[in-house]
Amino acid sequence: MFSGLREKVGQVLVPGDEFSLEVQETLSLTEPLKPEKVLLGPGLKRRGDRKLLVVKSGVLRHKQPHVFWVENHQRRYVPAKGETIIGIITVKSGDVFKLDFGGSEQASLSYLAFEGATKRNRPNVQVGDLVFAQFIVANQHMEPELVCVDSAGRANGLGVFGAGGLLFSVSLGLVRRLLRPRSDVLSDLQKLFPCELVVGMNGRLWVKASSIQQTLIICNLLQSCETMTTAQRQQLFRRAAQGAL
Amino acid sequence: MKDTPLSNCERDFLLKAIEEKKRLDGRQTYDYRKMKITFGTDYGCCFVDLGKTRVMAQVSGELVAPKENRPNEGIMFFNIELSPMASPAFEQGRQSELSVKLNRQLERCLRNSKCIDTESLCVVSGEKVWQIRVDVHMLNHDGNLMDAASIAAITALCHFKRPDVGIQGDEVTVYSPEERDPIPLSIYHMPISVSFSFFQQGTYLLVDPCEREERVMDGLLMIAMNKHREICSIQSSGGIMLLKEQVMRCSKIASVKVSEITELISKALENDKRARKAGGRCGFAESMPQERITALKTDETSVEMTDASERANDIVENAEVPPQTVPSPVVPAPGVGQVGQGLQNTWGLEEEEEDGDEEEEEQKMEEEQDEKEDSREGDVVEISDSEEEEVVILHPETQDKSSKNAASSSNQKGGKTSKQREKK
Amino acid sequence: MMEVCGSTNVSLREFGCEQTLLSRPDGSASFVQGDTSVIAAVYGPAEVKVSKEIYDRATLEVLIQPKVGLPSVRERSQEQCVRETCEASLLLTLHPRSSLTLVLQLIHDDGSRLACFLNAACMALMDAGLPMSCLFCGVTCAINADSEIITDPTAAQEKESRALMTFAIDSKEQRVMMSYTKGSFSVHELQQCIAVSQKASENIFQFYRDSVRRRYSKNL
Repeated sequence: MFSGLREKVGQVLVPGDEFSLEVQETLSLTEPLKPEKVLLGPGLKRRGDRKLLVVKSGVLRHKQPHVFWVENHQRRYVPAKGETIIGIITVKSGDVFKLDFGGSEQASLSYLAFEGATKRNRPNVQVGDLVFAQFIVANQHMEPELVCVDSAGRANGLGVFGAGGLLFSVSLGLVRRLLRPRSDVLSDLQKLFPCELVVGMNGRLWVKASSIQQTLIICNLLQSCETMTTAQRQQLFRRAAQGAL
Repeated sequence: MKDTPLSNCERDFLLKAIEEKKRLDGRQTYDYRKMKITFGTDYGCCFVDLGKTRVMAQVSGELVAPKENRPNEGIMFFNIELSPMASPAFEQGRQSELSVKLNRQLERCLRNSKCIDTESLCVVSGEKVWQIRVDVHMLNHDGNLMDAASIAAITALCHFKRPDVGIQGDEVTVYSPEERDPIPLSIYHMPISVSFSFFQQGTYLLVDPCEREERVMDGLLMIAMNKHREICSIQSSGGIMLLKEQVMRCSKIASVKVSEITELISKALENDKRARKAGGRCGFAESMPQERITALKTDETSVEMTDASERANDIVENAEVPPQTVPSPVVPAPGVGQVGQGLQNTWGLEEEEEDGDEEEEEQKMEEEQDEKEDSREGDVVEISDSEEEEVVILHPETQDKSSKNAASSSNQKGGKTSKQREKK
Repeated sequence: MMEVCGSTNVSLREFGCEQTLLSRPDGSASFVQGDTSVIAAVYGPAEVKVSKEIYDRATLEVLIQPKVGLPSVRERSQEQCVRETCEASLLLTLHPRSSLTLVLQLIHDDGSRLACFLNAACMALMDAGLPMSCLFCGVTCAINADSEIITDPTAAQEKESRALMTFAIDSKEQRVMMSYTKGSFSVHELQQCIAVSQKASENIFQFYRDSVRRRYSKNL
């Protein structure tokens, strides 16, 4: 059905490109009709009943069986439910913290949304601390809300962190590449120095290595490998491992 | 728009790194970032890239009357624009503290040091002098705007050429660049500012702070110097206490940096002069790097127009007929012009809303108004002739009948309005 | 009625563009047409002041900075033209109660200013990853004293022209999104200029595609 879409996987699209749904001209009477569905990711929107519109410029990607999206070098983050981000606490007022995560509004985080927090046992959080949290409410109509526990009530890696490391920004595309199941960037990084890395999907990364020099090296490497091909990046990492940088 | 707040861990890490003499981008404590100077198409336009900080300066000149207390000197005007492009925290039109500070520092650095010969800008003493205006636009803020602005301003002034002027008796002719070659400004020396940022109450210092380092610094020391090792201006802000030895050390570092930067500027000016002499095109377009994947250039392309005129003809023929246009104005009496017939008078609607005991008057009013509509073409409508309002009569010579009608109607209207006032 | 004896070949000056040249804005681009060059920067979707927020759409603000002096009435009217074009092509309802700021800085003016602003704006919006329903481009046409149509005129050609028109054309159906005209011309001439602009816009859209393709060439 969306063969037009499949042809263009891997090509660069610009906003305004349209794909139309092909209607099957002949219906088979013997075989059951297989309903085909397509999952549209960022950059693709449905227009009317039979049309798909590309709204962002980038490369069209495809994941089996039926997920399509447009990948680009965007820097600005738009919140989406279920994504984990690094936020900076800006306001501590009463029962609720306000976090800045780089979006168009500040998100709210209740003090009860930490592991083991009760009304008497408040979490130890100051203004300016880094928090790794997950969105439970994130749409364009409502104020975004974050939590630091999963549905079972356990922290599971979320919560306050940050002493001793460095926070820096990269583009959203690099963050997604780092979070892929078999990420090549991450595997190259693992061969370098042992380090702690927190990846926020709002484009923020936090790194801590055994010395300040190593932390700075990793930070500079990650910021510069956005626009490199795989070969260039591996060469750069090799040079860093040998201590040239 | 607010800028991203600085987190505690960033602040701690930066301060710790500075204690170990390590900077974010791997520089040494006294190193400047990579500096690039390019010029625009016309004289007086200069771009400075200091790392990721980008600044553009433009110099322009015009002839004005001089200031009264200095009739022999030209006028210099400096303006630093913190464009909203440079940082989300900059707002258009708002004079923020930073903007005032940068403007004042640039003025002290360039104007008070008398680096430009203002007497040579005088054309006719007491009447016409050149006003040289320097506009500096910030394009990207990644720290140390002051240094980049001062370099851009002085380089643009060195690059600028003003039109030649001829004086014959009382007449002053300004020659265009095609008629006579423009003349450069006479510049005595090039003051350049060097910024030092201090951390931990003056214990550590860094030259050319980037934006994150500026956020955690305690204080800033700005020294403006020229290559002859003369200090043109010193400014310390942030309230840190500095020892005499620290200031002396900073000035020594500044003199080294200033001589390096002055050499870079002279080289850039030389290259530009050579390129212009060779006749090549120069400007922002040429300075765009071509080997990057983010840049692309095409040559002059021609547009196929073969079926364009046919399409245009089709559209014009198939279009609807435009509505009848209004005829040209008619002059019924001198001093009065009339276009069209005017719409029907809707004053009748307002009078219907009034109370019943005024109905008779209303009816009379309507009749009179109907009559008047025919005769009232090009007349002036007198709203009321009460003494309280100022009536301006545009056309004093009206016909007798219409004036009587107008008077009676205005009387009526006056009466009505007075009745209205009584009611209120 | 004035007839336009259009030459069969009108040309556009050489183009150049660079994307992501500034590190602070979310999207930035510079666009060069001949000697006219413009830098555009986009911030958004970001926080909006309560006095300016719209409950169901994003608030788009366009700022045009001239090279010398403060912005005047001319810049304000050009800002309005650019803003109306952008609002027509951006999907503003996806980001209610947020602000989009587009800042345009004029670097050098050698004719076709408004068209260059529009082209730079479109490239910057694409670079920032803002959702758009179509691309747009600006084309300037001038009618000179010999009643010939010149596209993409230089400043000298603009001064000698009898009429000057700028059109914003969209990429899906080549329709006119915005028009800004100066001078006197007949209906026939107007339609001819629109047709020529639509033809010229195809070249510009192809240029957009090529530059975006080049930008992502390392990721393919």
